[in-house]
Amino acid sequence: MNPNLLLAIPLLPLAAAVISGLFGRLIGRTASATLTIAGVLGALVLSLKVFQQLAFEGVPSYNDTVYTWLVSDGIRMQVGFLVDQLTVLMMVVVTFVSLCVHVYTIGYMHDDAGYQRFFSYISLFTFAMLMLVMSNNFMQLFFGWEAVGVVSYLLIGFWYTRPSATFANMKAFLVNRVGDFGFVLGIAGIVYFTGSLDYADAFAAAPSMATKTLSVMPGAAWPALTVICICLFIGAMGKSAQMPLHVWLPDSMEGPTPISALIHAATMVTAGIFMVARMSPLFELSETALSTVLVIGATTALFMGFLGIVSNDIKRVVAYSTLSQLGYMTVALGVSGYSVAIFHLMTHAFFKALLFLAAGAVIIAMHHEQDMRKMGGLRHRMPVTYWTSLIGALALIGTPFFSGFYSKDALIEAVAESHRVGAGYAYFCVLGGVFITALYTFRMIFMTFHGQERLDHHAKAHFHDVGWDMKAPLVALAIPSLLIGFFTVQPVLFGGWFGDAIQVLEHNDVIAHIGHHFQGPVAFALHGPMGAPFWLALGGVVTAWLFFLKNPSWAAAWESRLSGLHTVLVNKYYFDWFNENVLARASRGLGSVLWKAGDQAVIDGTLVNGSAKLVGWLAGVTRRVQTGYLYSYALWMVVGLAVLLAWFLLSAH
Amino acid sequence: MTETSFAQFLPALPEIYLVGAICALLMFDVFFGLKKPTRTASVALLLLLGGAVATLISADFGHRQVLFSGMYIADDLATLLKLASFLFVAIALFYSGEFLGRRKLQQGEYYVLVFTALLGVLVLTSAGSLLMVYIGVELLSLSLYALVAFDRENGVAAEAAMKYFVLGAIASGIMLYGMSLLYGLSGTLSLAGLATAFSGPNSLGLILGLAFLVVAVAFKFGAVPFHMWVPDVYQGAPTSVSLLVASVPKIASFAVAYRLLAEGLGEVSGTWTQMLSVLAVLSLLFGNLIAIAQTNLRRMLAYSAISNVGFILLGFVTGTGDGYEAALYFTLVYVMVVLGTFGAILLASREGFEADEIADYKGLSSRDPSLAFMVAVLMFSTAGIPPFVGFWAKLRIIESLVNVGHLWLSIIAVVMSVIGAFYYLRIVWVMYFDPPGDLPRGQPRLALRFVLGLNAAAALGLGLFPDVLLNVCQTVLHRG
Amino acid sequence: MLVQILFYAFATVLMGSALGVILSRNPVHSALYLVLAFFTSAALWLLIEAEFLAIVLVLVYVGAVMVLFLFVVMMLDINVEEVRKGFTRHAWLGWLTVLALVAEIVGVVAVKQLGIDVTKAAVPVAADHSNTAELGKVLYTTYVYPFELAAVVLLVAIVAAIVLTMRKRQGLKLQDVGAQVATRREDRVRLVKMQAERRE
Repeated sequence: MNPNLLLAIPLLPLAAAVISGLFGRLIGRTASATLTIAGVLGALVLSLKVFQQLAFEGVPSYNDTVYTWLVSDGIRMQVGFLVDQLTVLMMVVVTFVSLCVHVYTIGYMHDDAGYQRFFSYISLFTFAMLMLVMSNNFMQLFFGWEAVGVVSYLLIGFWYTRPSATFANMKAFLVNRVGDFGFVLGIAGIVYFTGSLDYADAFAAAPSMATKTLSVMPGAAWPALTVICICLFIGAMGKSAQMPLHVWLPDSMEGPTPISALIHAATMVTAGIFMVARMSPLFELSETALSTVLVIGATTALFMGFLGIVSNDIKRVVAYSTLSQLGYMTVALGVSGYSVAIFHLMTHAFFKALLFLAAGAVIIAMHHEQDMRKMGGLRHRMPVTYWTSLIGALALIGTPFFSGFYSKDALIEAVAESHRVGAGYAYFCVLGGVFITALYTFRMIFMTFHGQERLDHHAKAHFHDVGWDMKAPLVALAIPSLLIGFFTVQPVLFGGWFGDAIQVLEHNDVIAHIGHHFQGPVAFALHGPMGAPFWLALGGVVTAWLFFLKNPSWAAAWESRLSGLHTVLVNKYYFDWFNENVLARASRGLGSVLWKAGDQAVIDGTLVNGSAKLVGWLAGVTRRVQTGYLYSYALWMVVGLAVLLAWFLLSAH
Repeated sequence: MTETSFAQFLPALPEIYLVGAICALLMFDVFFGLKKPTRTASVALLLLLGGAVATLISADFGHRQVLFSGMYIADDLATLLKLASFLFVAIALFYSGEFLGRRKLQQGEYYVLVFTALLGVLVLTSAGSLLMVYIGVELLSLSLYALVAFDRENGVAAEAAMKYFVLGAIASGIMLYGMSLLYGLSGTLSLAGLATAFSGPNSLGLILGLAFLVVAVAFKFGAVPFHMWVPDVYQGAPTSVSLLVASVPKIASFAVAYRLLAEGLGEVSGTWTQMLSVLAVLSLLFGNLIAIAQTNLRRMLAYSAISNVGFILLGFVTGTGDGYEAALYFTLVYVMVVLGTFGAILLASREGFEADEIADYKGLSSRDPSLAFMVAVLMFSTAGIPPFVGFWAKLRIIESLVNVGHLWLSIIAVVMSVIGAFYYLRIVWVMYFDPPGDLPRGQPRLALRFVLGLNAAAALGLGLFPDVLLNVCQTVLHRG
Repeated sequence: MLVQILFYAFATVLMGSALGVILSRNPVHSALYLVLAFFTSAALWLLIEAEFLAIVLVLVYVGAVMVLFLFVVMMLDINVEEVRKGFTRHAWLGWLTVLALVAEIVGVVAVKQLGIDVTKAAVPVAADHSNTAELGKVLYTTYVYPFELAAVVLLVAIVAAIVLTMRKRQGLKLQDVGAQVATRREDRVRLVKMQAERRE
């Protein structure tokens, strides 16, 4: 593979981002949009070319350094690319979704003053994400990791005049710092044991690390690899919003909708999933770490789904759905089904981006109204949006033949096959999750598009369907949401597509077990109604129909009957309350103690002001020395000479 | 004499060329430059580029030649330093062109004096004998004295020149005294001869002579407590001269220190490294602390120069090739960045607005965004923030210190560079976060802006690819 | 023996006059002390058979430089008391430093801790040995490089002196010799062709 070609893939969006960011006002709105779209389109085309080379021309995967930044104590910090089947899949998904979002943005941000800035940010994000997935070493991975975080921060707070937006981006930033702390510790552990930042070295050293122990506290020697893997996973929990570090994701919906689609649904939040899959040679060797992953993923998958049922904000419903689906992927990782996790990541990227963009279209059509209680019956007013979101919803709940079906069913079967600690709990969670998913998804569809119009007078008067610049990406995303599972399930899951990119120990290989029964996508889909998930999903849809379309009064009645539970859900299990009132208050308290005692007294009082006073005093003294009089200058020179001489003559004796 | 008699002087071509160029420039100015001084300026630039070419022609890479009975050393280090000097002086003249025209200082003599100063630098880079060190220092210093006083209407400049001259004369006396002591002890002026004469145990006589020499070298560097002239000259001289004083003479100082101390007296390095460590610590301490209190940018840069000299001296304190290499790298990097900084002052200044107070940079980002960006890059680099080149320069010095076990010195260096970062970043702060008030907007001056942009880009580029220059430094000191 | 007596005699005078240069309050006296110092050092050089240098010292420094210097000192009316003000404030430190420096140098030199054996006396040369020719030979062979550079130093001094002192004063009536020489007949003489006038 040509390294220049690979280099061009991330650099094209970067160049576009820099130009439209720095010279946006100069080149104008249209030029910025065109330029960034061209950049991402170029990246997509090149990614497809790489994909073609890897998939059909049998070109071996690429792993090499393109630029060495520095070598310090034998640790090489460099920029390098590892492009194999796993990477190229991510590259294509990232650039494709990014392209759709770019195009969609033309319409969505049409009236916004920060038009060029927005395009610059999303192109910059694309660059960062590509650097992250294409990396062949931990330093670049970390760079991409932080860079996507920074862009996400900028974009959540894009409307920086809204207090809620700045609060949300601060929250996202802080919560991610917690995850990053673990991530850095994990990387540090790898460097400590291998002396290298390269993936290849880390993977090669994995078996030896598995036998070593790390005594974090005296007397407690923990298996090194488990500690490293759990630390890395804490990073993934932050980025991929796993409980309890999920709190930032729903709030991040304060950002413009294209961002929610691109960053907080399709790509950035999947970075954690991708990273764990990339690190499969490490995780495979630690049962404890995988069980942790499994339990946390399962909990997220089920309990975040519940929240989707009670939320009335259309974007938040999709956001909770994202959390839940990320939980599914994490569960897949936990049962060593890395390939199915990535497969679900891919299908999810398409249909979730679709659902977000459709929600965005509704919001724009409703003049920035996000409350579903004020919608209803919109299917006649915006048919394209309705049908595409229906496709997305059907894919999400796992309707046979839709893309989501293949990934989710395979995932659930993989969990069923696994015998890892926690697998039983996880199986219960993912099955329950299917029902919940169908329930909230169709609740959203019904409340938005069906039933009576609950639009107020103003919304009705000013309602206008969105233009084709926004519909086209919906259609473009609906096609893979519908079809991609059907065409790719065989090669990706059971055809050994990932090759060496993902390593699974033989006795852990649940995917291979399922593969024995796999007889092609049609048979797989027809087998769907034989399993529990199908009926659970159907049950969910029917329940949603009963409660939210047929008899909306039932919903209210149940709400009051289960008011305790409802309150818990509406308050999102009190995570935010806990964080704000316990964690934040405690740390603020600790902070103020440290501030008063440490900062004000010691640092400000003694060090800063003290040194300022010292400097002032010194300046005063030296001002007397630096009199400006020539003779005093000369005198000090000679004094210096005399002192120097005296010192060395005496010390030489 | 045989027919090859002229070819044997080939290694000295840069100096021979420059002497010729000085005479040519004088004559050119008389006949063509009086009416149109810009002509002389252009010819001077061309002559400097020619000098770089002459240096390359005469260079014999990888070999060390000794000419004129050991008085002249031609080696890779000399070639590198000469090339850098020609280049840096050319950049300095380019930056100052507009300023000189505005201040009516653009006379042929200005360029002649710059050339003679440059000749002094060249002589020092190739010095093989105490005599040559002395003549080189005098040539450089005399030219600089005259340049500082060049703006005769300016009383402050005259005062600065006077101080510089008298103190410089004292320093020359001290240097001569030290040289005469060393000559008396060893019976030779040649540095190679000194190296063999002083290979035994240190005597008190040697310490006596050495202390005088170290003091003289410290004066040329501007190290505490021999730094008094630095702030006055930086602030008092015309900006274009401050630029010159701040930049290329540092290369000469490095050359003197290297030829005299490392090569000539390398065997007795134990003594002078101790002396230098005292001076280095004092320079770091006072330079950084006093710089914080300054409100005048040029004066701040003067104290910054003092603290940076502390870093260069720390490279010599190691007494190892590793340290000299770090010092060489630091010197080249520092001179490059300081050129850019003064270039930015010149670009920001205009008729009646010298732009040398820190307050003159308030809100520069909105008045002249590209200049503000370049200054920010240069300040980040000087402050030693990665990935800018200044970071690597400081890192190399500290690394070389740690390698020979000078832990305390390296801690002092780190702490002091953190303190130093404060006043560099304050400039950035002032530029980006203070309201511009009614200060004037930027002027285009595209050529100057372009070269300054290249200068700033180099500060970033060499930081992204630190190996490029590091390898060069390693090669010329024969450690490759 | 005689040489030694002469040496110490001249050396004493030299030291005395050197002190006189820096200690006398009148600048003219200082300059005259300096002349004396030059003379005595010339005599010391004669004692070590450096005749050429001795004569040049007298001719150049005493004959030219110092005379010029005296003119300058006498023409400028320097208020010595003004210059000395403030000087005395740091006098104690100055004296302390001087004492320390002298003690240090004496401690090393006089106690013979130089680290070398006592320097051998130079071998006297024959009476017809030409010091001047020897110098010339060395200057143009071994020391040709520093010699040429010294010439450049002088050039710098000339250029610097001219550029720092030459100035065109406004309103000064001066001959422009160049313009006078370059003038052509046409500029000065105008031939007017006119009709011959008839005498009345």
